[in-house]
Amino acid sequence: MASSLHFPVLCLHGGRLNRDRRTRGATRCSSERQALFGRIAPVYDNLNDLLSLGQHRIWKRMAVSWSGAKMGDCVLDLCCGSGDLAFLLSEKVGPHGRVTGLDFSKEQLSVASSRQRSRAKACYKNIEWVEGNALELPFPGSYFDAITIGYGLRNVVDKPKAMREMCRVVKRGCRICVLDFNKSTQPSTTSFQEWMIDNIVVPVATGYGLGKDYEYLKSSINEFLTGKELEKLALESGFSNGKHYEISGGLMGILVATR
Amino acid sequence: MVKASFALLKSAAAAAASTGVAKSLSEILVCPLSKQPLRFCEETNSLVSDAIGVSFPIKNGIPCLAPKDGKILGSDADDDRTKSDDAADPASANRDS
Repeated sequence: MASSLHFPVLCLHGGRLNRDRRTRGATRCSSERQALFGRIAPVYDNLNDLLSLGQHRIWKRMAVSWSGAKMGDCVLDLCCGSGDLAFLLSEKVGPHGRVTGLDFSKEQLSVASSRQRSRAKACYKNIEWVEGNALELPFPGSYFDAITIGYGLRNVVDKPKAMREMCRVVKRGCRICVLDFNKSTQPSTTSFQEWMIDNIVVPVATGYGLGKDYEYLKSSINEFLTGKELEKLALESGFSNGKHYEISGGLMGILVATR
Repeated sequence: MVKASFALLKSAAAAAASTGVAKSLSEILVCPLSKQPLRFCEETNSLVSDAIGVSFPIKNGIPCLAPKDGKILGSDADDDRTKSDDAADPASANRDS
């Protein structure tokens, strides 16, 4: 089962260096990261489809479903990239709802905006795009009925701060859904993930001139949090509960946390 | 001439749409640093945080609200210099906006 291709390099906000990195995946500065996102933006969607054999669409539908978003809601998709989750949320909340997609890459947002213009469904008019920083959200407190973040939290350098910001802006009693690779505690799952990255993801990405970037995926997952650690982080960030679900044979995971 | 008129109309429509989006978003957006409300400034096509005296640009209808995008208000010397440079160089009028 192919892995979804989402950008692996850790995000550096505020120019701080993570001096504890032991792997070749040294943290890059925010501007380098943005340049990289800009470079992959044109092929991002195609690669996601190719490497996950289209399954990333299922995982994203699950995340939207479990977020509790419903007709008329006002929702946020964080680290929205080219907008996959935002479009799904748009269908869920309908024309009287509102979707905000936030990302720090103007190139990804440009792709998202183009996709929105080219799509015929009236409900997609309810999506608005914002360029911003996941650690300093430009939204008032207790505003959103649901929040999703797909393959974004792993790439944020200050995960507790990102979680606290999500907790701040989601309404009390409402949920956030964090979809990402699963950092498994099962050696067999970890081995399979690593094999997939080495033998499928990186070679395919190399064909698009992005091999070096995707070599970081292994270390990025290794440095991510396990399901239990994510649940603990949710509680520490102010959520009343957090539950992590492994999906797709343990390759992916979704954290559902309620404020 | 027809092509130029069409381009002008298209640009005007895009600008109007951009303004509409920005006004709509300014109702929900706050300053990423102070978390205080933002004010849409039509003249500069930006969102202004009066709380900290910073403006954030809107480019192609998308508000740029990362803290690094903020520009301190009142840096008029820089604004004037930029405007006069743009006036002197027509090519710069097509820069990212």
